[in-house]
Parts: sequence; structure tokens; C-alpha cells
Amino acid sequence: MMRALQYFVAEAMVSLWRGRRAGALSIVTIATAVFVLGSFLVLASNLDRAARSWGAAAEISVYLRDEISAGEKAAIEQILAGSPLVAAREDVSKGEALRRFRELFPDLAGAAAALPDNPFPASVEVRLRPGSTAGEPVEALVRQLERQAGVADVQYDRRWLDRLASISAVVRWTGFVLALLLGGAAALTVANVVRLALYARREEIEIMQLVGAPLPRIRGPFVAEGILQGGAGSVLALLALAAAYVIVDVRLSGALGRIAGGLTLQFLPASLCVALLLGGMAVGCLGGLVAARGVR
Amino acid sequence: MIHAEQLTKLYGSDVCALRDVSMRVDKGEFVFITGPSGAGKTTLLRLLLCQERPTSGRLVVTGRDLTALTRLQIQAYRRAVGFVFQDFKLIPGKTVFENVIFVPRILGLPDQHQIRRTYQVLKWVGLQHCINAYPAQISGGEQQRVAIARALVNDPALILADEPTGNLDPDLAYEIMSLFRDINASGTTVLVATHDRELIRRVGRRTITLTQGRAAQG
Repeated sequence: MMRALQYFVAEAMVSLWRGRRAGALSIVTIATAVFVLGSFLVLASNLDRAARSWGAAAEISVYLRDEISAGEKAAIEQILAGSPLVAAREDVSKGEALRRFRELFPDLAGAAAALPDNPFPASVEVRLRPGSTAGEPVEALVRQLERQAGVADVQYDRRWLDRLASISAVVRWTGFVLALLLGGAAALTVANVVRLALYARREEIEIMQLVGAPLPRIRGPFVAEGILQGGAGSVLALLALAAAYVIVDVRLSGALGRIAGGLTLQFLPASLCVALLLGGMAVGCLGGLVAARGVR
Repeated sequence: MIHAEQLTKLYGSDVCALRDVSMRVDKGEFVFITGPSGAGKTTLLRLLLCQERPTSGRLVVTGRDLTALTRLQIQAYRRAVGFVFQDFKLIPGKTVFENVIFVPRILGLPDQHQIRRTYQVLKWVGLQHCINAYPAQISGGEQQRVAIARALVNDPALILADEPTGNLDPDLAYEIMSLFRDINASGTTVLVATHDRELIRRVGRRTITLTQGRAAQG
């Protein structure tokens, strides 16, 4: 078995070297498919991670009108104190809101200072109990707060977290569909390249048949050639993906950290890299099998 | 070894390559198949190599009925048969050594055996001096010796040769025939198709003559 595999791989390498130009075409096609899928997976997994991280710390921000009365403020605090969903609350004054803005966006601090008045409203930041960040009770609390006098606006993280989760799902499925289409094209390219190799070696194949070589022994090297092309394409794609990740991480990590509350961009986990490598090899194997079926 | 009974091969409905050919070749024999071009020599060899099936009749080789073999059985049968063609059918991109070791390698025989047996047959056909040469770098006679070494490397019970000297001058042709005679002397059955009457006379072995698809023992 090992000897047969060694034979397949050795013959496939020789064939790949002989047809290296056509082989390069299939490798690049597979690399493109894997790169596209990998890019979408990196994007989707980071969106998921962000949604999970923010979801665990979901907050309701109750923005107060500047002219709110003490009675109205007390009514709001009474609602929050009586709600079993609320874990903690913090009053953020207009001054504190401005200070936070300056800290988060130092580049824009000058612009805020140029304004005649502090434009930021005071607010109450409400942290919800873990496990109660979704569902009708929270929505009811949000609606109750929105109706309250002295409240300018209520922002509930969960709404846009749900939107973020939907975007993440769309990104992932778009990646899969694109990868499926490109994977199909890659398999066809591999099949045609292997067919060229078959044609170039037709005399050799005829002799193999005449000496009674078993069919799997004749077809094996061509399937191995497809698998090697798929593997090479996947490795190329993963390297390109890693390079793109490093560039994006270096250039955008500061801005991302500020926008996403300290979250950093992460590369694909090792298991997913292995899955992409195996997927590329499977596409190559499919192309090799389709072509090798021509040997009867 | 070979037993053909009323063997007929038709191409389409009106081209008859072989008609009711009956013949027998015993184990260890050296037999020539001769006849003019188009007499059916190559067709007979193609039937013997299972490249085609007869239209009717029986063809039994080494106890196997070739008309009823499955694909797997054909593969097993071919491993017991060596073949030599007029155009050598060598792989241009492989060296002499690689052209020969190619057969045990594709059959998955142990490495040690492959190398030992390949050296052995190349030495036997007198090509030990050019094992690293490519087919284009050696003479026609040497190329045919490589083809013979390739046919022998698997230690076959039967060697089939289709016009093996067709591309060689008379002296080289006789040299190749001497090689076949030596192969036969070691116990291998040899069947050579040739139209070269003079060569047959010089080698002096039993001859089956085909004329317009019909056989006559000579």
C-alpha cells in the first residue's frame, strides 16, 4: 500500500513537472477558490466573535433630555431598580460623556472643543443580567423606558447585534456560494489539465495496459496529480490569506481596537486551515478522478 | 500453450481479417506467423493480446479462454505475456533502464526485485553499457533489444512479436532473431509474426502462413 502511494506521488510529481505550465493554471484556480472562501470565513468568524463578545456585555443606554426634571429622573431610576433584568446601572453626566469621546477619538477632540456647548447628552448605562440580553422582557423594558418623560432616546445593543449576526451569516453564505462556484471551476480546470497529462502520456498508458497493469495503478498517479495540485493551491491560498491578514492587522489594528472596544482581528483557527487544505485537495482529487476515468 | 479453433474476425460486415483459423502452438515452441501484408498477422496478435475479441471461434492460451475473459482476467493474463512491436513502443522521455523497470514498477513488485531483474535482462540482451541512454540516443537494433528486455523482465511464459525486425537491416534482424531463439531455448514460447521469408528460412522454425485471413501450416 505504502509502495503504491509512493509510486503514485512520484509519478504525479514527474507529470506535474512535465506539464508545469498547465499545472500552474489549476493551482492558481484552486488557490483563488480557497482564498475567496478563506477571506469570507475570516471576516465571518471575526464578526461572530465581535457579536458574541458584545452580546455578553449588552447594555441599554438611556439618553436623557438636558431639561429633565428630578422627578422624571427618579421615575426612570425606579423602573430600573424594580426590574429583575438589570444587573447594574451607571449615571453618565454630560461632562463624563465628553471626556469619554475625547479619550476614544483623540483625532476628533479638537472639533468637539470648538463647539460652543457640550453636545453630548447625559445618560444612564444599564448592564443586563447574563442570559437576559434577548427576548420580549428586555424589549418591554426598552419600550417602557422610551415612553418615559425626560428620555431623549433609548439604544439597545441587542438590536444591532442581531443585525451584525445576520450580516455575518450573509457573509459566510456568500463565501460558501462563491467558493462552491469557484471550486467547481477549479475541479474542471484540474480535470482538463490532468486530461492533457493523460494525452501526453497516452503511449505510456497503452504500454501499461499491455503489460497488464491494474487499472487503479494506471489511474492512481493522475488522481494523485489532481490532489497535489489541490494541495499546492490551498497552501498558496493560505499563505496569501496569512499575508493579507498580517497587512490588514498591522494597518488597521489601532482603528479596529478603538471602534470594536479592544477587539483584535483573528486569523482562522488551525482546524479551519486544515479543513481548507483538505477541501482544496478534495477538489483536486475530484478533477483527477474525472480525468482518470478516461483510462479504461 | 495456444489453441485457436475456427477463429474469425470481421470488421464491420464485409471486411474479414481472419476466417476459420485453427492452429496450435505447444509450450516451448518457436513459431513464425507469416504471410503478405493484410493477411491477418497483426489481427491474430491483437486477438492474442486481448486488444480485440474474435467475432467467432475459440482462442485458448495458457488454459485461458480469451473470448470470455473479464477485464481483471485480461490484466492477469497480460502479465504472463511479453510483447514486442515493430515500432518498439519505447517511452522517449525515459532512459533504457527506466523503460524496462517501468513494467515491474507498475505491477508493484518489490524494489530489490525490480532493480535486480532489470539489470539482469538488460545484461542478457547486451545493453548493460547504455542503461542511462535515452531511446533517441541508441540505434534501432538497440531500441528493439530494449523492447525485448521489457518483454522479458516480467518472466513471461509467452512472447508475442509483431514484425520485430521490420525496421532493421538484415544483419540486425538476424541478430534479433537469434535473441528470440535464445529466449525460446530458455523455455519461453515464442510467436513471431513476420513477412520476411528469408529470415524465416535462416532461423528455420515451424511456420504458420496466413493468406487472406486463412491459415496454412508450413
